[in-house]
Order: sequence, then structure tokens, then C-alpha cells
Amino acid sequence: MMERTQRILSLVTMLLDARRPVPFTEIRESFPSEYEGTVEAAERKFERDKVELLELGVPLHFVKTEDGEGYELDRSAYYLPDLGLTREETAVLLTAGAAALDSGAFPLASDLRHALRKVDYLAPGAQPGAAVRFHPDAGAAGGAAREALPALWAALAARKTVTFEYQSPHRPGVETRKVDPWGLAFRRGTWTLVGRCHLRGALRTFLVGRIRAVQANAQRPRTPDYVIPSDFRLDDHVAHHPWGHRFHEPLEVTVELRGPLAPLWERTLPGARQLEAGEGRVRVALGVTYLDGLCRHLLSLAPHARVAGPADAAARYRDLALAAAARHGEGRA
Amino acid sequence: MRRQPTSNERLRRLLMLVPTVSQNQGIHLDALSTALGCTRDEVLEDLDLLQMVGRPPFQPGEYVELAVEDDRVYVELDQRLEKPPRLTAAEATALSAAARLVFPAASDVLGTALAKLEKALGAAARPQAEALGRVLDAGQAAPPDAGRVEQAVRERRELRFDYYSPAHGSVRRRTVQPLELLSLRGQWYLAARCLEANDERLFRLDRATAVELGERTFAPEPSRRSTLPPSPWGRGEVRVRFSCAVAGWAAEQLGQAGVTVLPDGTAEVQLDVDSEAWLVGWVLSFGGEAELLSPDSVRRNIARAALASLE
Repeated sequence: MMERTQRILSLVTMLLDARRPVPFTEIRESFPSEYEGTVEAAERKFERDKVELLELGVPLHFVKTEDGEGYELDRSAYYLPDLGLTREETAVLLTAGAAALDSGAFPLASDLRHALRKVDYLAPGAQPGAAVRFHPDAGAAGGAAREALPALWAALAARKTVTFEYQSPHRPGVETRKVDPWGLAFRRGTWTLVGRCHLRGALRTFLVGRIRAVQANAQRPRTPDYVIPSDFRLDDHVAHHPWGHRFHEPLEVTVELRGPLAPLWERTLPGARQLEAGEGRVRVALGVTYLDGLCRHLLSLAPHARVAGPADAAARYRDLALAAAARHGEGRA
Repeated sequence: MRRQPTSNERLRRLLMLVPTVSQNQGIHLDALSTALGCTRDEVLEDLDLLQMVGRPPFQPGEYVELAVEDDRVYVELDQRLEKPPRLTAAEATALSAAARLVFPAASDVLGTALAKLEKALGAAARPQAEALGRVLDAGQAAPPDAGRVEQAVRERRELRFDYYSPAHGSVRRRTVQPLELLSLRGQWYLAARCLEANDERLFRLDRATAVELGERTFAPEPSRRSTLPPSPWGRGEVRVRFSCAVAGWAAEQLGQAGVTVLPDGTAEVQLDVDSEAWLVGWVLSFGGEAELLSPDSVRRNIARAALASLE
């Protein structure tokens, strides 16, 4: 009896060498102790091996040709082709891969390592190019994200429901959640899971750093537990900027930036549109779905930024600014 | 959770082993284990297993044959395993996500590299990679000049830009030798040698404008790493109190610094901060839910900045 690994590799060498399609009966005869028992049992075992081969990137097909019918491994599709990468492109990929692995918080770390070996094979001795480093959120929750990410990705890729412990800072204690993972997004230094929460019966976002003890449904690992709708877009659920969280209806807010921040308005408020510019100040319009997020962002830039309109939004900014001043002994409480 | 058993790490490594040795006949065992990302003992086990891999009817000459002499590995019969299998959908997705995560999207080199990766995927893998890419979004937003800055780092060319420093409250033209691009806690930074200051500085990319790529190049410093800005989450002289509304968040984010949750539900923390400008902005970003208790001088500046923004 062979080890499973030995059987799979021997199947690869057999099929790579075959000059005609190989019927299952011949495969079975070639590995009698491996595919013993009833035909049905042998076929089921071979089906599992086929899945493994396909996941390894082995292009195995059942074909009917003049030479007969059976399994064929397309050699031209099996071998890693020259990707035609320039030296610079290779350097970019090696650098990016090394930085992502180095960060310790990358969901497909194992796949990335295998991919980098293949890039390296095609360009032996190539060195990473520009020096780039990637450090995700270094907050206390950063370590937990490293633990949870690979497990969440594996479940997401296989469409398996997960249960995990979730500790929200807004609620005491730890909750157990059952979630169908729909996507992982990286925004502003933090990984976020978007998934359908069984408890709430709706899509929810979860900061991966708050997730512990991920357990995927182990029943029928190759059968998806759920389907992700084709119109699902991560961008609809995970904001790029603090004012982009979808907490209320879209609102167009006028923001005034002054002094040294005026020429930096495009960088400070990505997505904004300039309305008017004066001496040392600029007014821009910005689409907002979380006004408090914008107000707090602008407060962090004080005294060079404020909400100028509409009146309700400006009043909200004013309230927060006055509250901050009052906390520090100035203005009204 | 364990990885799905179908994703067999060892099989993937074994399929790389023969090509790696074929490409480097006589490769040292240590170099081979480094190349395959495993231990020397694992390589030896893999070599033993590969000697039992072959094609039916398993006669002599139909097995993979590898030889180890003086810790050097040679392949004598590869049984057509001389080249690795092509990239799988997951591998291509991983490369693409890593590239998007680390490099600003504006980089032309990145765009062409990713296009070639996609083209090289097999017909079956392409839609799979597309489906995987749809549920993994690592595309960080980057300032508009990030691509040019990345090019300057890559080509070791001097860079000039106007830089706003909140600490000085002013904009100054800088000429720098760009050393390293950093994506740190969600912000893009450039570590560079500032030629005016003749010292290494960290520049936030969203505070740089009028970025110009110079013609002058400079010699690389071998295997250097810039010093990261110190994390403020260390016990220091700065004391901040958080209201009940954000105390939980503070305990989560600043756990390392030791947040003390008080009986009334508020929380206090001591921080080590060397930039007053950063501290003022950070406390204000809580919109009144955080209060700086000390130092007193900065308390006044926080209040003044908040009120001045309303004028």
C-alpha cells in the first residue's frame, strides 16, 4: 500500500507520460492495492484524488478521442510557462510577496509562499526590488488577526460556515457568532470580515482582530454551505475612509480646509470635489454616509479644517468641537 | 481551524523539489530546504518518498531517481517532473493580493505584472481566480503621487516635494533620497534621507505635494531598514481619560499600554508621546470623548485648536 502522497505523485508521472487517454480501468489495474474493493469504492477514491490533482494545478480531463476514452493530462497546460515578466516586474512581485509574508497578517500566506517559489524558479537569483514594508494595525488586536486570517480565508474559499468568538468593545463579554464569510477586505491597516451573521440574519462586518477561535463547519468539506450572490461587492460594506461607513443616507457635505491643508485637500479628503478656492482656504464637497466619522477626522486636523455646510452638518461639527474644548477647560460644556 | 485537507502542502512542495534540483544540480541540502521553505529533515523525508514515486508497471528506470552525495542533491531520472506545475488560482490570487496590498495601485510595473499573471493562468484557473479576487480586497487607497514615489525608491532617484509638517505648521520644499516605502497602520510613509537635514526622516505621503522625480541617482545602502516611528502605546507622562462611550475601544486598542478601567466606566491610560501636534489631533479625533489630563500646556492647545477651527 502506497502513501497517499506517493499515489498522487505516481498518478501525475503516469499521466504525464501517457500518449493516449487512460481509462479508469487501466488506472485501477496499475494501482491494484490502491483502488481495491468494489468498483464504486475505487471510483470514489479516485474522485477524491482527482480533486486533489485539480487543486494542485494538474489539468486533468476526461476525453473521448479516436485513441479511446479516458483521462488525459495536457502537458502543455501542466507545466509552468514563462510568464514573460521583466526583471522589474519580477522584483515587484518578490518584494510585495516578501513584505506581505513579513507582515505576519496575510490570509493566503501558504499559497503566496508556493507562488513566490514559482516566480523564483522562473527568474533564479532575482532579488526583490524597491524597499517596501507593510505593517498592519499594530494595536492590541493585531496579534489576533494573524491567528484568525488563514482560517477565515480557508473557510471563505471553500464557502464553509464558521463559528467564532467575537469581542466587541461596545458590549461586555465575548459572543459566539455563526457566520457565512462573504469577503475579506483590508482598509486603513485593518482586516475586516464581511459575512452573513446567522444571529442577526443579515450581512455584518467584523474586525478580524476581534475574532478568536475560528471553527469551520467540518461536515462535507468539499460541499459549499452557502452561495455568495454575484452582485456582492466588498466596497459596498467596508469603507475606505472614516466618513464612508454606511450609517445614514448619503449626504453632500461642504468642508473648508485652511492654511497649510488647503493645497492638500485632494490627499486629505480623497473623493472630494473643489467648490471654491480663496486666499489660504479651499471649500470642497464630499459625499458622506457617516457624518460623525468625518467630523472627528476634521477635528484631528484642527484648526485647519471644519464642516461649513449644510447647516445641520456644520452644527454637528460645532457641537463636537465645543465638547472637546469644554473637556479641556474652554468654552461651554 | 486546520486547512482543508485537500490543500496538501507536502504535495505542492514535492512537485517543486524535482524542478528545483533539476535547475540546480548538486544543490546543497541546506540551500534546498531554504528554497522549499522547510527543514533539512523534511527534505530528507521528501527525497526518500520521491524515490518511491514512479509510473506503472514500476520497473527499474520507471521511478524518480535522486542521489545525495556529500549533502549535495542530484536528480538522475525526473519522470517528467522536471518543471513545476503552473500557478493555481489561489496562488495567483495570493500574489495579486500581496502586490495590491503592498504597492500603491498607481505603479505601472505592478499593472503589467498582474496582467501577465492573469494571462498565464490556465483556462480553468482564470474564473476561479476571478471569483477568489472578488471576495478578497487588499487594495489600499494610496495618495496620487504614490506611484512616482515607488518609482523613485525602485530606481534610487532623488525626489523633491513640498511637505507639510504639522509640528512646524508650515510647508517646506524638501529634496530627499528615498529609501523605503512603508505602509504603516493604514498610512503610506516614505523613509528617506533628507538632504537639507542630512538625516533620515519619515514623510507621510498624503502631506507631500508637487512631487518631482529628480535625475540624480544615489548608491544603495546594503540591506538597510528604516527605523519605524515609535508606537505611542507605551507608559509615559501623557495621561488621557476616555468617556464610557469609548472606554471599551481604548481598552482594546491600547491594551499593551495598560488601560485602567475606573469604577464609573471611564478609562485612563498613560502614553509615551513625543509629538504634541500628533497628540492634539489624536485627542480631538474623539470629539470630546477623550480628555487629556496632563500635560497642562497641551490641554490648553487642544481647546484652542478646537475653538479656532470654528472661526
